[in-house]
Amino acid sequence: MEKEQKKIPDVMQAETTRRGFLKGAAAAAGGAVALAAVGPAVPKVAKAAEPAENPMYRYLFAERQNCTGCRACEYACSVYHYGVVRPSVAKVHVYKHKSVVDVPVICWHCDDAPCIAACPTTPLAIQKDPKTNGIILNEKICLGAKCLKCVEACPALFIRVNPDTGQPLMCDLCGGDPECVKACLAQSGNPQGPCLMANKLGFGVNQAYRNVTPEEAGEDLLELLFYPNKTGERR
Amino acid sequence: MAAPRGGYFGKILEIDLSKQTAKTRLLTDEECRKYIGGAGMGANLITSKYKAGHDPLAEDSYIFIGVGPLNGTYCVSTRTSFVNMSPYTGLLSHAEVGAHFGNEIKWAGWDGILITGRSKKPVYLFIKDDKVQFRDAKNVWGKDTEEADELMKQEVGDLYARTAVIGPAGENEVPIACVIIERFRAAARTSTGAVMGNKKLKGIAVRGTKAVPVADNKKFYPAAVAAKKLAVEKEAWQGIKRWGTTGLLELKHWVSGSLITKNFQTTWYPDIEYIGAEEANRRFWKRHVACNHCPVHCMKYGVIREGKHAGLIAEGPEYETGGLLGSNLGLSDFAGMMALIEACDAYGLDAISTGGILGFTTECIEKGVLKPADLDGIKPQWGEADPYYELIKKMAYKDGKAGKLLSMGVKKMSEKIGKGSDAWAVHVKGKEIAAHDPRGDKGRAYSYAMGTCGGDHHEGTNPATIARWAMLNSMVMCSFVAGYPLAKETPGVFTAMLNPLCGWNMSDDEYWTTAKRIITLERCFQVREGISAKDDVLPKRLTTEKLPAGPKKDAVFTAEDTKKIHDETYSYFGWDKNGIPTDQTLKTLGIEYLIDDVREARKKL
Ligand code: SF4
Ligand code: SF4
Ligand code: SF4
Repeated sequence: MEKEQKKIPDVMQAETTRRGFLKGAAAAAGGAVALAAVGPAVPKVAKAAEPAENPMYRYLFAERQNCTGCRACEYACSVYHYGVVRPSVAKVHVYKHKSVVDVPVICWHCDDAPCIAACPTTPLAIQKDPKTNGIILNEKICLGAKCLKCVEACPALFIRVNPDTGQPLMCDLCGGDPECVKACLAQSGNPQGPCLMANKLGFGVNQAYRNVTPEEAGEDLLELLFYPNKTGERR
Repeated sequence: MAAPRGGYFGKILEIDLSKQTAKTRLLTDEECRKYIGGAGMGANLITSKYKAGHDPLAEDSYIFIGVGPLNGTYCVSTRTSFVNMSPYTGLLSHAEVGAHFGNEIKWAGWDGILITGRSKKPVYLFIKDDKVQFRDAKNVWGKDTEEADELMKQEVGDLYARTAVIGPAGENEVPIACVIIERFRAAARTSTGAVMGNKKLKGIAVRGTKAVPVADNKKFYPAAVAAKKLAVEKEAWQGIKRWGTTGLLELKHWVSGSLITKNFQTTWYPDIEYIGAEEANRRFWKRHVACNHCPVHCMKYGVIREGKHAGLIAEGPEYETGGLLGSNLGLSDFAGMMALIEACDAYGLDAISTGGILGFTTECIEKGVLKPADLDGIKPQWGEADPYYELIKKMAYKDGKAGKLLSMGVKKMSEKIGKGSDAWAVHVKGKEIAAHDPRGDKGRAYSYAMGTCGGDHHEGTNPATIARWAMLNSMVMCSFVAGYPLAKETPGVFTAMLNPLCGWNMSDDEYWTTAKRIITLERCFQVREGISAKDDVLPKRLTTEKLPAGPKKDAVFTAEDTKKIHDETYSYFGWDKNGIPTDQTLKTLGIEYLIDDVREARKKL
């Protein structure tokens, strides 16, 4: 654990800063309007080579009860991919359940990847990057709003649709160095520790976590943390 | 008259509830730069629309829900500001509140929402980007804030929407009704809940999908990252992060001598150990909760374990709620106190005013000027949570003799009761004050007496912080991140963000001039309503009775203290000895449009 934390760079390091903003600088220059026209940035290949030798970041994991609902992960994800803060196009998203608990909804990068299995195109519009395990969307092939079979197939209801392009928002693991994980670490320092983690290989692919919807996960958290009094008169 | 280049969408959503119309009002860059947003923008919009003596509950009265240029950008911890003329005090008031509601407004493409008119039937609004729906509130009206929040999200079919709602107290136009954001955050002290109730507006749900335009992202983004890093590294926030503001309960008892106790009879309250942060941590808290992009997560949610409220999920105690509804009522029953706090959130009552009223009422009973018969047979007593619980419920519904009497508030109650009760009626400009006794913590007197709204604890502790806070409330940033920890870096850390974001070249001087403009503008509104130096004072008890025990034993807020806060504040902002802005000041600040109104008012003051 200690080792893992050391390897995760501080989100505020200069390098991250530069990378995050350079990517989207062009899109951001003209503000929101230009952004819509430019569309999502193409995943960077240049950086992907490095983490390849490093098997650290093959899966994300969310320690759900640690989440504070700050949405720093959404900020970081959209800044990295689009150069601006825009939670509606972040891959990771935080669902507030009954305004009491927060459920970070992440991609579990399933080995059986039901989303990819459901994709009808040839070649496949979504594929795993064999080096990082991230899911890469090919925008040229993806049928977008007409199809969205992947959205239906994901048991975690992780996949949302990009409001500009109508295509699914897939988690590419940022080329192997997840921004949301770094952002969460920088936010946390709460007594529980961070919520989002990488390299949680776990046993299998965290299916018990994956196979619940955000709402079900919210109900579970509510039970787990607050054991509400279901029968009693509350006020 | 150029449009803003970044930081703003340059649009305010104008809602008319009478006509059920939604229009766009365009903002110029000049206007944005002059009034920033949030509290400042709201003050200008409302002051320029009203004449002296406007009825705060008239159909054409306004509520401004404002955000600032930094909301929705990478900047840390941005909030929402509610601005309106309060029917409780008759003064311009603003409330800043956390959670995510404000940023959703921004991402929906708006710099604020200006609401006027009055609906015939209860409605609520659903704002999704440019689309605005006026929705029938028949299923939501009458519900408490918890149910309303959930029901509205279900009805609009978007569980990711964020809400601001009123509870039964707002519906019944109880003057101390507040707005509750996302179930546990209160925009209070401004009577906005009562104004919304009067307008038959149950709430607003909002969801945005846009990105805030940035003039120069190459410079802005690193500046926002640097500001966040600075705030995170400061030790100041570590305590708040771990203990919330709850930890201050113990601190203000043991060290500052300013923990209000039993209606300001003392600040020494050893029983704080049963209702403070350590107890909460040991037996109540379950999770830390953060606002937008905030590393502090000062909110703590927990669940009551025992007694008749077992299973109730609640937030806090925060310093103010635990002070007003804990030590102020002599409670040592943690579960009982939490139930009172939760009831205020659920009914949509301002917990500070509620605590102030309950404390005053208890002392009236103690001193025999009120009888339980005046309160429908309820006998409030220090340390007993149950009668307080009953009284809160009655206040929210203006139910019975007790509900009608208590919902008037301390000032009017003491006028009605008479019998010397003004000796222990603690309020400033008609509003109950917060949980910091200014005899132990003299800096708070600036906030209570010199601040815009009256009786608020969050308007600075000297003239310079009043100015600083004015900017925070207009950029709508949280003081736990941008106020206390970044004091030394102000204003550089903010102009470094604002300039590339908005395409400005704001200097330090301009930053402070803007702060003074906002405070002076707000002051003009109050002056027009008859406020002058005579009103900038603390209540009798705090200026005549010495603290009987504790670390600040024998302290009292003297006449010299009052003179000091007047002289310093008036000269800092360029107001005359009577606390009225001079013509010259109004000219220098570029708000000449108020000169005539202020001259007119000065004649009577
Ligand atoms: S099915 Fe869902 S969780 Fe699994 S890999 Fe696909 S998007 Fe991720
Ligand atoms: S790993 Fe990267 S792409 Fe995936 S959710 Fe996190 S920040 Fe977004
Ligand atoms: S950054 Fe971490 S704590 Fe914050 S919302 Fe995301 S998962 Fe939760």
